[in-house]
Amino acid sequence: MYNEALRLEDIHLSYRGLVGTSISKPRPLGFFESGIQPGEQELISGANLVVQKGETICIGGGSGQGKSALLRLISGLARPNAGKMYIFGEYIPPERLTALNIAKRQVGLVFQNGALISNLRVRDNIALPLRYHKVGTAVEIEDKVRMAMDLMRVRDYADFFPHMLSVGMQKRVAIARSWAMSPQLLLMDEPTAGLDNYNRRNLLPLIDNMRTLFKTTIIIVTHDLMVAKELNCKITFLTHKQLTELRYFDEWLHSDTAISKELFRDLRTSG
Amino acid sequence: MEEQTNDKKLTLVGRKFHALGLFLLRRPVGQEVALFIRAFMSLFNKSRSFKTDSRNIILQTFFTGVEIFPILFVVATLFGTVVIIEVITMMGKMGFGDVVGGLMVVVIIRELGPILTAFLIAGRSGSSLTTYIGGMVINSEVDALATMGVDPVRYLVMPGLIGGAIATFIMNIVFSTSAICAGFVMTKTAIAITGNAFNIQLTWDYLSTEILNAMSFTDFIFIIVKPIVFGCIITTNACYQAMNIPRDIRQVPKATGRSVIKSFFYIVCADVFLSLFYFIDYFNEISKII
Repeated sequence: MYNEALRLEDIHLSYRGLVGTSISKPRPLGFFESGIQPGEQELISGANLVVQKGETICIGGGSGQGKSALLRLISGLARPNAGKMYIFGEYIPPERLTALNIAKRQVGLVFQNGALISNLRVRDNIALPLRYHKVGTAVEIEDKVRMAMDLMRVRDYADFFPHMLSVGMQKRVAIARSWAMSPQLLLMDEPTAGLDNYNRRNLLPLIDNMRTLFKTTIIIVTHDLMVAKELNCKITFLTHKQLTELRYFDEWLHSDTAISKELFRDLRTSG
Repeated sequence: MEEQTNDKKLTLVGRKFHALGLFLLRRPVGQEVALFIRAFMSLFNKSRSFKTDSRNIILQTFFTGVEIFPILFVVATLFGTVVIIEVITMMGKMGFGDVVGGLMVVVIIRELGPILTAFLIAGRSGSSLTTYIGGMVINSEVDALATMGVDPVRYLVMPGLIGGAIATFIMNIVFSTSAICAGFVMTKTAIAITGNAFNIQLTWDYLSTEILNAMSFTDFIFIIVKPIVFGCIITTNACYQAMNIPRDIRQVPKATGRSVIKSFFYIVCADVFLSLFYFIDYFNEISKII
């Protein structure tokens, strides 16, 4: 239990939990109104997952299966109808399952579109959470921001606004912003989607650096299975509203399950 | 499931109280009040920093206040001119020359000044606040803020709320002042242009003494209270409507419309509610009036 970064037990999530932001709603409302109502359509029902500290895993699956919804759930943006969630071995009761509370436990989320604050420069975007939480003095924050920008190779664009950057660059800035908060658990939503081959090849070593240098636990949601192969990490698939067991890429490739037949067909024939 | 277990723990009174609380929190008005309280309380939480907060609030005050000044000044001047001309000609004809000051105070300072200011600010700053935060919600920037541990209520709503209240207060004073002063100048100009159109001797001494005599202590209090209440209503409502947008771009214009219209509605309701204070005075002395 003490070595676990994340444990999900029998998580249920309905479409109702996904609509809109719950930030303006008072917390008791969501708390008392959770629970499955009869006849409600569920997106995820009965998912289980255990991630050890320092481990990197990929979550795969077809589109529309609720991969991103699962990440939103882990980061507290969507509220599960039932089930238990443990972060770093600590049980989080349902009334504490908000994004702010989970962010306190050093969990970071990188959005699919980057979600940079559009009226702030790259430098200020990265510094925003550090300044808000008063992580250190102004000089320390400046150092940290510079380090994050170096790590993700966006130093040359420090004074650019997000709309001046390409999609890949925005994604790298978003990763730098998450990293600057030194998260213990980093959730990434499609880090390679929409990137060309060159940027993709550049991004993967950066992720690799992060996990070897800083021992960050990383959960990557992706439909690009080669990411898992290149990072040499375990994969779980979200199918039929549940998560399968964790296995390495090669095990999936050569196994006889329906998932590997369906999703690894192209990879098998090609090589 | 949870509700049942909670129900069992509570006594009858507790259950009723809990049901009442949930009933209020399910209404939009209850949620807006909750949002207002959270935004105001977030001013004092542990991530406060005087420098950043004051900069954000001043920026918001400038955005809400200064940029609306030209249009507000023109509206106030024309409105003041019309009121002064109407009041003086009508009252003069009917022989009520001595209530001119009282009417000016009631119409401009007490009632329509704050309301028109609030309407202008709701139409401009309230709607732009809704669009701004709504756009952030659509781009999941608000979600990103929350996952970084930055409270969106504190980062987005609080500066808008405080800045909006301050700006509405300042703009209300500007409105009343320019309605009376610039309105007076405009009236004099109109008299000068049309020759002998008004058969009265309208001087600044006369007008200002009348108005100052008619002002009571409660008027001075309400000059402060009313615009601050209206400013809080406008910004809270605008932020509430924006925060509740589902992630669908077509909901932003709808929310903006709702923000403006509901602000108008709540402002008029709040105005009637605040005016009850005067009404109670009148009702006590109703035998003297009739």
